Amino acid sequence: MTDHPIVDPTGHTPAPAPGPRPGLGIFDKELLDRCISCGFCLPACPTYALTGEETSSPRGRITLMRALEAGDLGPDDPTLAEESSFCLGCRACETVCPAGVEYGQLLEQWRDHQWSGPNRPWIARALMALVSRPGLLRLQGLVRRHARGTAKAPVQPVTATTGPDPAETPADDFAGQQEAGPQVSLMLGCVERGLYPGVSRAAQQLCPEITVPTRQGCCGALHAHNGDSETGAELARTLGEQLPGTILTTAGGCAAHLAHHLGRDRVRELSEYLDTKGHQPVGQVTVNGRRARAALQDSCHLRNGLGVTRPPRELIAAVADYVELPSAGKCCGAAGTYAMLRPEDSKKVLEPKLDEAEEADVDYVVTVNPGCLRQVQQGLRRRRSRAKAIHLAEFLALAARSAPDVPPCGDPAQR
Amino acid sequence: MPTGTDLARDLAAIVGDGHVRVDDGALAAYARDATPLFTARPQAVVLPAGTEEVAAVLRYATARGIPVVPRGAGSNLCAGTVPLEGGIVLVLTRLDKLLEISSEELLARAQTGVTTAALADAAAAKGLLYAPDPGSRTVSTIGGNVATCAGGLRGLKYGVTRNYVLGLEAVLPTGEIIRTGGRLWKDVAGYDLTRLLTGSEGTLAVITEATVALLPAPADTGTGVAYFDSLADASRAVAAVIAAGIVPATLEFLDRKCITAVEEYAGLGLRGDAGALLIFGDDGSPATVSGNLARIQEVCAETGALEVTLAENVARADALLAARRCSLPALSRLGSLTILEDATVPRHRMAEMVDRIDEIADRYDLRIATFGHAGDGNLHPTCVLDPDDADGAGRAHKAFAEIFAAAIALDGTITGEHGVGAAKLPYLTDRLGEDQMALLRRIKRAFDPAGILNPGKLGS
Repeated sequence: MTDHPIVDPTGHTPAPAPGPRPGLGIFDKELLDRCISCGFCLPACPTYALTGEETSSPRGRITLMRALEAGDLGPDDPTLAEESSFCLGCRACETVCPAGVEYGQLLEQWRDHQWSGPNRPWIARALMALVSRPGLLRLQGLVRRHARGTAKAPVQPVTATTGPDPAETPADDFAGQQEAGPQVSLMLGCVERGLYPGVSRAAQQLCPEITVPTRQGCCGALHAHNGDSETGAELARTLGEQLPGTILTTAGGCAAHLAHHLGRDRVRELSEYLDTKGHQPVGQVTVNGRRARAALQDSCHLRNGLGVTRPPRELIAAVADYVELPSAGKCCGAAGTYAMLRPEDSKKVLEPKLDEAEEADVDYVVTVNPGCLRQVQQGLRRRRSRAKAIHLAEFLALAARSAPDVPPCGDPAQR
Repeated sequence: MPTGTDLARDLAAIVGDGHVRVDDGALAAYARDATPLFTARPQAVVLPAGTEEVAAVLRYATARGIPVVPRGAGSNLCAGTVPLEGGIVLVLTRLDKLLEISSEELLARAQTGVTTAALADAAAAKGLLYAPDPGSRTVSTIGGNVATCAGGLRGLKYGVTRNYVLGLEAVLPTGEIIRTGGRLWKDVAGYDLTRLLTGSEGTLAVITEATVALLPAPADTGTGVAYFDSLADASRAVAAVIAAGIVPATLEFLDRKCITAVEEYAGLGLRGDAGALLIFGDDGSPATVSGNLARIQEVCAETGALEVTLAENVARADALLAARRCSLPALSRLGSLTILEDATVPRHRMAEMVDRIDEIADRYDLRIATFGHAGDGNLHPTCVLDPDDADGAGRAHKAFAEIFAAAIALDGTITGEHGVGAAKLPYLTDRLGEDQMALLRRIKRAFDPAGILNPGKLGS
């Protein structure tokens, strides 16, 4: 046998014995080491699809993180700043990663470092402050509804958003109504409470056994995704203490964040909860006298973080003609604060989805997360599309209204 | 060589401002591919939009002696796209148009950056099969597959990428655009440059478009698994299957270490007490598939299999194939520095080769598990290291040097499907001999007189 040198004889091949490296401690070493750079994540990544560039792929970003950790790239490096912000955080890469890299965790650690203090985008800072003050959120909801009421707003599929002030959450009405059995607490969601209070109401209608504690804060997902994972974790733990029993949420993003901090067993997203309890949706959603055609937009964190994909589809199919859009499982570009921080990129991610919805001639695009709802709703409105975006809870409630024996939900006449 | 700023300016004049990267982050990201332990930063990364821009970049680089490394998705495992001498990384992901699928002519034409899965899926939608099936198909590009002559799980029955390339559009380092071969199954006019470029690993020309042959999609597929006491028993079963006149589409093996790792990782219900397992599969008409699988089942039982079962449904078949496909990730969880190699021996010497690998691994105190394509003797010995093992990588290099030598001694080769790249160039002379190496260098010079294209790889 020829005795080959360990390195290429041309002297070009650095074969560094890796050895223990100190690193700066920005990242959990175990998590960062997990990536074997195979590149299987590339086709799953929406930003890689936009640019075709390694830097905007999960593998490339992990290479950047490693360079940051090793001190090869400085904390002020513009590419690091750009990529930590360009990433949607949709975690689609995690579902195709053969080595099980927890990219979502790495991204949080990256942003903790990159977006600390004044480096955090001001919109993110403002939002994080806002969700810590529920009163402000309610005000925002009021302003928004007022603005919509005076403008020529498209007809809403449900009347929930024109309902009573969300500040008067029906929590008190429902308190003490839970039936025997394990306690389930509905999380109202800080953004959802402000923007889409009808969603919580619809959830209560669908699940009369749940309790709705009045005092509850934010789950902290917003903080964790925007460079303050410590506060994110703290808020999740606090909310865990505020909400007894199983926590039911109508937001995929909150579900994944809470499950990470409180344990998967304590958290149920609405569709998965309805599925487990064998809920049979009643009625059907009709448009012009025919059964509606409805598609689902998955919530990335529900799909990629918690692996919930079947229940929402089956629930929709029970009350409408379900249409699977080719990109249903891909990020819509809302991605928490992303749509506000990077509106142009966010639109680029969304547009093909809207094309699909229009080509498939659906009546509704159903979502399971308030961010996605807002994103798809705005996109469809912008296009003056015939299709409407609606949250799953409201969609099921809308169907229930057509069933004569079931008390209507969200119907102003009944309030 | 122009300085960074000049290089960026000159390249931007060719491809436009938004498609040149000279920032530290991009240079770091393009310093490596899927091969562990090889990194080298380029001076610039450029993403041309089409063949003419590729030609212009190459003309520019040749005139100034700047190295150029063509790159697709960078999923190769031989450091084939690491810019060892710096220069320009020429990224071809923007050439991503699937140009044509012809049911009449049974062929597809695609730009170089189309992923293999995208091409195969589009073909399948028309009832056609693109036979090469590399494990990285969802990410790897057709150009990269051609450049490395990628193999895969269907190699035994269907062969490798080479057997399906009908024609190529490629750009010589000097900027000429050539079209080799074409749309014909029979065409013997001139030297077979299509075959020469297939597997040339980006050292002779930059492939910008490929025309590949398709087959009618088989009507049915079936899969089964056989467990054996040892890999030697499994190898005898493989030989007996082939001797029985059956060439199945898939015949894959896992050694004991892989079975354990896969089972721990994925919990697929594999037998933990087996020394090796064979996953076999075939496709064709339902009668052919069931006949062949039944015969393989018999032959395996006759050669001493502990247990042979056929997958009763698609889900179980997928689970079995998943066992094979998840071997690498399963192993990577044992230690995140995972060196996957690619030695090939005549299939009747596979057991001998695995014994040699085990002996070498023990001697160097390394964890090396082996899985691979039993049907064509293509082994993937995979070394799993803790990245904090200070001299582990050094021991692994020495061990693999011995493994490649052992493969050659058994009439085998140093790579069956991954390519030579930078990782295995030091061992190529042992495989080819000095005379062939000299010829390779003369061929390289004929294509690339300035020596700019992927230096430090084939032909260097």
